[in-house]
Amino acid sequence: MADDRQSRISRRRYLSLVGSAAAAASVAGCAGGDEIQTPSGDGNGGGNGSGNGGEFAVTITQGQLDSGLDPHDHRETTTDIVLMQAYEGTLDRDAEGKVVPSLAEEYEQVDDTTLRLFVRDGVKFHSGDELTPEDVAFSINRIVNNDVGGLASPQKDQLAGVTEATVVDGERAVDVVSDGVNPVLVSLLASYGDVMQKSWVEGRQKNQINSEVNGTGPFKLERYTEDEEVVYTKFEEYWRDPAAVDRVTLNAAAESSTRVNQLVSGETDIVVNVPPQEVGRINNQGNARVEAVPSTRIIYNAMRYDVEPFSSREFRRAMNYAIDLETIVKEVLSDFADATSQPTLEGFVGYNPDTDIYPYDPDEAERLVEESGHAGASIELHTPVGRYLKDLEIAQAVVGYINELPNVDATVNQRDFGTLAGELTTGSIEDKPHFYLIGWGNETFDASQTLIPLLTSEGVLTSWSNEEFDDLVAQSNAETDENAREQLLRQANQVAHDEAPWIFLNRQYSVYGASGRIEWTPRRDESIKAYSISPK
Amino acid sequence: MSLGRFILKRALQGVFVIWGVVTVVFLLRFVTPGDPITFIAPLDASPALRQRIAAELGLNKPLYVQYFDYLAELVRGDMGYSYISGTEASARIFARLPATVELAVVATLVAVALSIPLGVVSATRRHEPADYAATTFSLAGISTPNFWLGIMLVLVLSVQFDLFPTSRRALGFVDALGYLAQGNPNGLIVWAKYITLPAITLGTYFTALITRLTRSGMLDELGKSYVRATRAKGLPESLVRYKHALRNTLIPVITVLGLQLGSLIGGAVITEAVFAWPGLGTLVINSINARDWPLIQGCLIVIGTSFVVVNIAVDALYAYVNPRVVYD
Repeated sequence: MADDRQSRISRRRYLSLVGSAAAAASVAGCAGGDEIQTPSGDGNGGGNGSGNGGEFAVTITQGQLDSGLDPHDHRETTTDIVLMQAYEGTLDRDAEGKVVPSLAEEYEQVDDTTLRLFVRDGVKFHSGDELTPEDVAFSINRIVNNDVGGLASPQKDQLAGVTEATVVDGERAVDVVSDGVNPVLVSLLASYGDVMQKSWVEGRQKNQINSEVNGTGPFKLERYTEDEEVVYTKFEEYWRDPAAVDRVTLNAAAESSTRVNQLVSGETDIVVNVPPQEVGRINNQGNARVEAVPSTRIIYNAMRYDVEPFSSREFRRAMNYAIDLETIVKEVLSDFADATSQPTLEGFVGYNPDTDIYPYDPDEAERLVEESGHAGASIELHTPVGRYLKDLEIAQAVVGYINELPNVDATVNQRDFGTLAGELTTGSIEDKPHFYLIGWGNETFDASQTLIPLLTSEGVLTSWSNEEFDDLVAQSNAETDENAREQLLRQANQVAHDEAPWIFLNRQYSVYGASGRIEWTPRRDESIKAYSISPK
Repeated sequence: MSLGRFILKRALQGVFVIWGVVTVVFLLRFVTPGDPITFIAPLDASPALRQRIAAELGLNKPLYVQYFDYLAELVRGDMGYSYISGTEASARIFARLPATVELAVVATLVAVALSIPLGVVSATRRHEPADYAATTFSLAGISTPNFWLGIMLVLVLSVQFDLFPTSRRALGFVDALGYLAQGNPNGLIVWAKYITLPAITLGTYFTALITRLTRSGMLDELGKSYVRATRAKGLPESLVRYKHALRNTLIPVITVLGLQLGSLIGGAVITEAVFAWPGLGTLVINSINARDWPLIQGCLIVIGTSFVVVNIAVDALYAYVNPRVVYD
C-alpha cells in the first residue's frame, strides 16, 4: 500500500508540477545569469560583448572546428584558422597575398638548391623560451622527414622538394635544402611550415601536442574543449605589438543558418561561408555586415582528354562557348564569384592577363560540336553536393546550357564528395569520371601549384596530357629567373585556355558575416587572423 | 525470478546485442563507398603518402585481423583512435555523451510533464473544448517537422525577442549544480536558457505522441467494468481516474517512453545541428561524412548500449507499475 501511496498522482500535484515547469521556462527565458564562467564566456546567455572589465573579446564561428592542435598534423583550412592565432611560420603573407617576413626577418638564395632563412631575434614562445634556429630547422624537418618529431606529417607535400633544414654554424640562420631548383620555395614557406619549439615537442606525447599550444603567435591558449571551442588570450610578450583583441574564441556550427542566427543575435563576431540567400538578412539587421573577398579556390569542370567526346579539342572548346558564365556568376552565385579564363587566378604568379573569358556563343558551340564529329553525344557531369558554394546549382546551370545545344545531351550525376574524391585520387586517370566538377584551392599564389597537380601529364589529379604544356611547366620549374619563369607560366596558361581541358568556371568568393562592432577585412587566402581585428 | 536475476539475464542478452551491433557496423565499413584515406589525405597526396596512412591506421591488414584486433581492444575498453584527429574515440564520445543525455532526459521530462496531464484532461473531458485543444495540439505536434520548429523557435524567441540564446550549450547540468552548491543559482538559470529551445524542439513530437497515447488509454480504461465498480463503491472520481485508470494507462506509455528515450539519445541529430548542440548526434553525422570508423563504431556501441540499458530499466519498471507483470 505504501507503493500505492507513492504512485498516487493527484490533480493538484499535476497542476503544481506543470506550473513549476512553465515558471522555470519563463524565468529561464527572461532572467540574466551573472557571475557564471561558461565555456563560451557567455554566461549571460548571449552576446560576446566586451567581456569583463572592458575586455575586447571576439568570437569566430566556423563550419567545423580543428582536428587537433598539432600544426603539422592536418591539412584542413578550419584547423589552420584555429592554429594561426598561435603559431607562425618563417615567412607570411599580407592580406593581398604578398610574401612578407615573419619569424625569418630575411632570406637569401645561397645556391640553386639552398635557401637561407635568417631567424628573427627576440621572439618568445608562449612557454617563455626564446626562439632558436634549432626550433626552425626542427619544425621544417618534422614536416618533411618522417623520423623527426614523432610524426609522419601529411604536410610533406606542401613543402614539395625540400629534403632537410640545417642550422648554419655561427649564424642565427637556417638553410633549407631542396632536391633541385625549387623556385616556389619562398612561396611555400610563406603559406606553410609553422614553427614549434623543439624541446616542447620532444617532451610531449602525441595527444598532448594535439591538445596544448606553444607557438610564437599573438595569442596563447587559455582553454581547449575538443569539438566545442578553443579560447585564446592575448600574448603580451608577442614580438610585434600586442593584439587589440584580448580574448578570441573559436567555435563551430555546421548549419549556415545557425551561424547567421548567432551573428545577428550578437553571439559571435565573424561567421564563415554565408550562403547568398542569407546576405540580405545580415545586411538588413543593422548590427552586422557581409564581407566578401575573392578566394584562392577555382571551380572547374574537368574533361578527360583520353575519352570521347572530350578527346576532341573542338568539343572541349564548344563546351566553353556553350555556357553563359556571366549569367551563372550573377544569378547562381549572386555575384560572389569571378568568371575565369584559365587555370590560374588573377593575382597569382603566372596569371596571363591577355586571355579572355570564353564568350557565350551557342552558335559557335554548335558548330564546333559538329566539327568535332561528336554531334549527338551524351555526357554526364559528376558533381559533389554541398562541398563548394552552390556546386550543384552551378552544375545544373552548366548542364542546362549544354542541353540548349541541339546536338549534345547532358545530365547531372550528384555524387557523395568522398566517393568522387576517391575516384579522383587513385593516381590513375582511368578511375576518374569523364566529366566532373571539382574545386581547387591554392594558397601559394603561384600558378605552378595548380598547373602541376591538375594539368600536367604526371599530375596527381590530372585529367589532361599535352606535350607543349608539359614542356612549358617543366621549363618554368627549372627556371631561377623570376621574370622568365613567369613568362613560361603565362604561356602555359594560354595553352590551357586554347586547348580547353576544362570548362573554366568561377573563382569562388569567401563570404563572411561580420559584427558591426569590429573592424576587420577578410583575406584572399581564407585565413582569419584575430590579430587584424580591432574594435570599431 | 528475482529482479536482480532478471536484470543480469537481460544484461547478458544485451552483451550479445552489442556484439551484433559491433559486427554489423564493422562489416558495413567494407561495403560503404568512400575510403577513409580519401578524407584523411589531401586531394593531391601521393600514393606513397596514402599507403603510409593506411599502414599507420592498420587498414592494410586482412579484414579478419582488423576485426579481432578491434574486438580485443573493445574488451580492454579501448575504442581506438579517430582517423581524423588521432585522439581517443572513447574520450571524444564520452565528452559528448552528457550533452546528448541531458537533452534527451530534459526533452522527455518536459514531454511527460505536459503530455500526461493533457492526455488525462482530454480523455476525461471528451468532446469538450479542452479535448479539442489537446487533440489539435497533439496532431500539430506530430505533424510538425522538428527542424522547422527549431528554426522557427530560434527566429522568433531568440533573434526577434532575444529571450533565449540561438544555439550552443553554455554549461552542463553538473556544472550548474556545482554553482548551486556554491550558493550561486545563476548557473541553473544559464543552463536552462540554453537547453529550453532544444528540449522543446526535441520533445514536441514526443509530447504529442504521449498525449494521444494517454488519451486513448484513459478512454479505454475509463470504459472498463472495474472502473464502473470503483465508482459504484463510491470512490472519489480523482481516485478512480488517477489511482486506477491512469495507472493502467501508464504501462504502454512507459514502453513508448523507454523506446523514445533510447531513440532520442541516438536520434537528436537534427535538433543538435540546428542548435549547434555538442552532442553525440552531430558527432555521428560528422564521423559518417568523414568515414571516421572508430568514432562511428564507438558512437553506435554507446547508442546501442543506451537502448539496452533503457529497455532493461523499462522492463523493471513494469512490475512496479503493474504487479501482475512477472519476470521470466
